[in-house]
Amino acid sequence: MKSFLILVLGAYIVAAVHAVLAFLNKRRILQRVSWLAVIAGFALHSVALLSGWALEGRFPLFYLPETLSFLAWSLVAAYGLLLYRYQAQAQALGSFTLPLVAALVLISIVTGSHANGTLGTPGEIGRGWIFPFHTTALICAYASFFVVFVASVMYLLQERELKLKTFGAIFHRLPPLTTVNDIATAAATVGLTLLSLGIVTGMIWSSERDGKLWHNDPKEIFAALTWLLYLLLIIYRASARWRGRRAAWLGVAGFALVLCTFLGARLLGGYHDFG
Amino acid sequence: MSIVLVGLNHRSAPVEVREQLAFSDEVCSHSLRQLVDGELLREGLIVSTCNRVEVLTATGKGREAEGTARITSFLSECRPLAPDYFHKHLYSHCDDDAVRHMFRVASSLDSMVIGEPQVLGQVRRAYSLAVEAGTTGRVLNRLVHHALHVAKRVRSETGIAASAVSISFMAVELGRKIFDSLAGRTVLLVGAGEMAELAARHLVKAGAARVMVTNRSNDAAERLAQEFGGEAVKYDALTDHLAAADIVICSTSSPDYLVTPDMAREVLEKRRNRPSFLIDISVPRNVDPAVGELPNLFVFDIDDLEAVVSSNIREREREAERAELIVDSEVMQFQQALRAMDIGPTLGALRQKLHDIAKAEMDRQRNRLGQLTPEQEQAIAALLTSTVNKLSHPLLNHLRRSYETTAEETLSEWRDAFGLDE
Repeated sequence: MKSFLILVLGAYIVAAVHAVLAFLNKRRILQRVSWLAVIAGFALHSVALLSGWALEGRFPLFYLPETLSFLAWSLVAAYGLLLYRYQAQAQALGSFTLPLVAALVLISIVTGSHANGTLGTPGEIGRGWIFPFHTTALICAYASFFVVFVASVMYLLQERELKLKTFGAIFHRLPPLTTVNDIATAAATVGLTLLSLGIVTGMIWSSERDGKLWHNDPKEIFAALTWLLYLLLIIYRASARWRGRRAAWLGVAGFALVLCTFLGARLLGGYHDFG
Repeated sequence: MSIVLVGLNHRSAPVEVREQLAFSDEVCSHSLRQLVDGELLREGLIVSTCNRVEVLTATGKGREAEGTARITSFLSECRPLAPDYFHKHLYSHCDDDAVRHMFRVASSLDSMVIGEPQVLGQVRRAYSLAVEAGTTGRVLNRLVHHALHVAKRVRSETGIAASAVSISFMAVELGRKIFDSLAGRTVLLVGAGEMAELAARHLVKAGAARVMVTNRSNDAAERLAQEFGGEAVKYDALTDHLAAADIVICSTSSPDYLVTPDMAREVLEKRRNRPSFLIDISVPRNVDPAVGELPNLFVFDIDDLEAVVSSNIREREREAERAELIVDSEVMQFQQALRAMDIGPTLGALRQKLHDIAKAEMDRQRNRLGQLTPEQEQAIAALLTSTVNKLSHPLLNHLRRSYETTAEETLSEWRDAFGLDE
């Protein structure tokens, strides 16, 4: 199982290195190697996740290592979807996303070796469909918000260069402004939908278990703030009052909140403090 | 075989010399047939563009100087020109240098504007003219195909053609950076200057769907609009037109700013903050520089464009250095391919010829031997085969080795001696 993940990690590292090189040094062969490695890594990763599910007999989204691994998987899936939709224009996203993917898998492998089983067992909470749905939706939402973040950073970098009229080496490798804008909007919409589903299923699950919808736990509060912020972002974008730079800054700020929700709440403790 | 190239280009010769020597397509085939005599010059190709005339030929080993002289005198024969008039502008290259030169020309490394795409088409055209004239053969076919391959590699692996190096094309490039595609975009020309017209032409070619023209004199606007299949619009409703356009090109001679920040704010409001791209190539400027500070408006004046163009030219020069490395490695590969192309078939044909001779002799004497057992038949066949192999082995080995050290003439001598080409 673990050796399998190491294979996955190897493929992702190859993909990330080649994507970054392709970004710096326009060579199609590098890009092609990166794609092949991503495809191989993603296939192996999917098998690893599914076999983990089958072997352990429970949905593989409980402990931190599993969660990180699944987050990496959903980031690759998001990258794949963007490549499918925007083709060559989305290539640059890979050089930002794939290094993170490789890092997540690495952390998952490292923490997986000693954290397993020390933090209580999933027990009965792992059963049923609501809990798996809750976690899956939220992890996919985080992946979408990361895409919003990367697209927003690309927008800001490029807008700055266009305004200053000095074009650095990366300028020619970044996708056009309207494309990154579209990507950010689409990813924010998908992310908000998933976040809403995640929050709602969390509430249902919690009320079934404890009879309470809300625990005032830091993770829940951050999640609510995140939800509000992305709702604001989408409303502003839709009403066309904020386009371009301001919306992009909001996309960056939103991701800081997402990080707080995902990691910060873990450090602050509370109801969601498991694994 | 040797490759010999004689030519002149924009660096070696002024335009009045180049234009005298240029070959039109019609003349080209005829001249090629005159030039290629099948004896001294066995293959030939002429690349003639406004920036260069290159005569590329294949000749026998060791006859490079003769070939060069022949091409030079050919050039003066087919033009009523005194040799001194252009001889000092000619350059000549042999073998590796000629191959490298051809690769550089096709890859647009030798062009006036490095990376310009037309030259590749011109090389293709020159090749098809030579094919029609029947003056290409093994060597030039391979050389031209290899040159096209090198050009493709250079284009895809370096950025020599990545960025625009003319102001009018800059509009397209920056437009593509702001809008994902220019297809379906609306262009507004304010004023009817020549440069604005050129930029608009590039934009339409890149897919821009609609062109609006506005000008103080309505006649000029009408005329220009007709050329683009666009529409002339009223000069006084400028704000509305600005709001309708994604890309605006200003080139009027107005002494005051035509687009003020207040107007721009109104435009943004009307466009619901969709980005727009303003190109101001007029001096004095038509767009208030303060407009560029507003969000979602991208304003480039003539100085901005020129600065980007010159930085792009420097970028192309840097990329050209990487392209030269690709060319160098391809020149080596080409030489190897050329050698392998010649030696292999010759050795095979030679060995086959010797076996054929032995077999023919055996067939002539066979009936004198009478009835033989299958073992005896086999022994005779083996005897002939091994005798021929043993005899030819040192010879073939020697040929292969001497070929490595460039004695190509021996190869054709042997071909002649055994009548391999008959």
